[in-house]
Amino acid sequence: MDSLITAAARALAAGDPLGALKRIALRDDPPALALRGIAMAQLGDLARAKLLLRNAARAFGPREAVARARCLVAETEIALASRDLGWSAKTLNAARAVLEAHGDHLNAAHARYLEVRRLLLIGRLDDAEELLSTLDPAPLPPALRTVHELAVAGIALRRLQTSPARAALTRAEQAARQARIPMLLAEVENAWSTLQTPAARRIANGEERPLLLEEVEALFASKTVVVDACRYAVRSGSTVIPLTTRPVLFALAQALAEAWPGDVARDVLLARAFGARFVDESHRGRLRVEIGRLRRMLRPVTDIHATKKGFAFSLPHPREVVVLARPVEEEHAAVLAFLADGESWSSSALALALGTSQRTVQRALDSLAASGKTQWFGHGRARRWMTPPLPGFTTTLLLPSPLPGD
Amino acid sequence: MNRTKAEIVREYGPFPGVDQVHGVTFDGQNIWFAAGGSINALDPASGETVRTLDVAGHAGTAFDGKHLFQIAEDRIHKIDPTTGTVLATIPAPGGGGDSGMAWAEGSLWVGQYRSRKIHQVDPETGKVLRVIESNRFVTGVTWVDGELWHGTWEGDESNLRHIDPKTGEVLEQIEMPQGTVVSGLESNGSDQFYCGGGRSGVIRAVRRKSKK
Repeated sequence: MDSLITAAARALAAGDPLGALKRIALRDDPPALALRGIAMAQLGDLARAKLLLRNAARAFGPREAVARARCLVAETEIALASRDLGWSAKTLNAARAVLEAHGDHLNAAHARYLEVRRLLLIGRLDDAEELLSTLDPAPLPPALRTVHELAVAGIALRRLQTSPARAALTRAEQAARQARIPMLLAEVENAWSTLQTPAARRIANGEERPLLLEEVEALFASKTVVVDACRYAVRSGSTVIPLTTRPVLFALAQALAEAWPGDVARDVLLARAFGARFVDESHRGRLRVEIGRLRRMLRPVTDIHATKKGFAFSLPHPREVVVLARPVEEEHAAVLAFLADGESWSSSALALALGTSQRTVQRALDSLAASGKTQWFGHGRARRWMTPPLPGFTTTLLLPSPLPGD
Repeated sequence: MNRTKAEIVREYGPFPGVDQVHGVTFDGQNIWFAAGGSINALDPASGETVRTLDVAGHAGTAFDGKHLFQIAEDRIHKIDPTTGTVLATIPAPGGGGDSGMAWAEGSLWVGQYRSRKIHQVDPETGKVLRVIESNRFVTGVTWVDGELWHGTWEGDESNLRHIDPKTGEVLEQIEMPQGTVVSGLESNGSDQFYCGGGRSGVIRAVRRKSKK
């Protein structure tokens, strides 16, 4: 490498992107383009950073395959940080193979973790987990070990397995301290907070109390019948009956669960399920039909019987019914329940699933996004919505060094 | 052209606190190498670092019998090796795109890395006296027994090349093992070349067949 490139790379490594740019701002040779790209990324201008790294990758000659591949890895990481999924996993994989072939195992691992993060981002937990299981973090530098453990923790949290999540977060914290990257440590601490703040409310017998994630896990593992208003499902042990596409049935189930072991009057049920303010015979008929449907669907976990006033859940002693609600009552709970599975949704698919207009869904998504409860990636028709990245989706940029010979 | 495979006689380093070697020279007794934030002297017999000068060293290093010359950013510093004081500064011919450097025949010879050139420079003024074209990226430069040699490093290949200073024609080539990098080149004046090893942080001694 030449003198100014060395000086600029040293400035970047010392966390001084302006010092780096000062030395190479007017140069357009490939290593300078690459370093300018990394500097712009550190300064937060991700669009410019992507462009510079792409140009650098093009400008490196055919004999500089490693430098080219590293630029591509850096560009991908920046794209991921800017929620742009318009890059090809195949291209990234080809770059990874080049790095692997040239013995650059560190940056090859870096590329692998980008793929893991992509899978986490689009909610493909099984695939992410499978890929993680092929990676051994032990020989990697602390920053990448942190990324690895955060991803493991994130998957465990999403699956409500709090004890493996705790173990992974403990390892992530150790690695992040060694890495001495404040932002990375902050991400680990942030992930810890999901274990220490209420994840849901338990409503039963007219009483409410907040539950931590591990208490939710314990509740799901018990025989208790849980009417889960976070995910619009009714579950007991390993039996899960999703009602995301049946908002009326879910509303009935929730009303019955809140009253259990008591019953709920017909007019209350009608108001809860259809928003009906005055009740006539046709409503009663419709209620009977819906209760019949609900009874059939919930048969594996509970029965519903008619009472003088209305209906009630009936299940053998000592099993009980509780409602699990979001920690804070939310508008747009139905939209959030769909997104709770971690999958990414287009607004049109959500509208179809919810049976409402796309405009209504769009309004809900926008207002949820404004309060940080949803996020999007992609642009135009390719835009997808999901809940904010689960803890474990590292957002700190850990860009590879793009220079040949480094 | 005569091609041979490099015979590496010895490896020095990596050295504590040195993550890259950017330039190499020899003062008749010690090997001096630039390590980014410092220039270090190394005893080739013991392999121990014997001096450290606290000055910037981003690329080539040279020695004129009395002073060290060191490329830093887009300048060449003339340095007193006993105190580390910068005595004079001239502009580097490649404007910061400079890599290797040697002192010979009263001139500094400075490689310009990606431009594949070697400049002959007046050490007092920095004036470029002549330009020699190479067809490879130029890393280190050295003169030994009246021969001009330079290191190349492009993609995965690194070589030491003996070139005709008038025409740039390659007369001899010593091929370094696959995947090794040459960053900085100097000879001990007789039977060895010292080659900086870039990010590996090592300095490799390569056998040179003396023609005397």
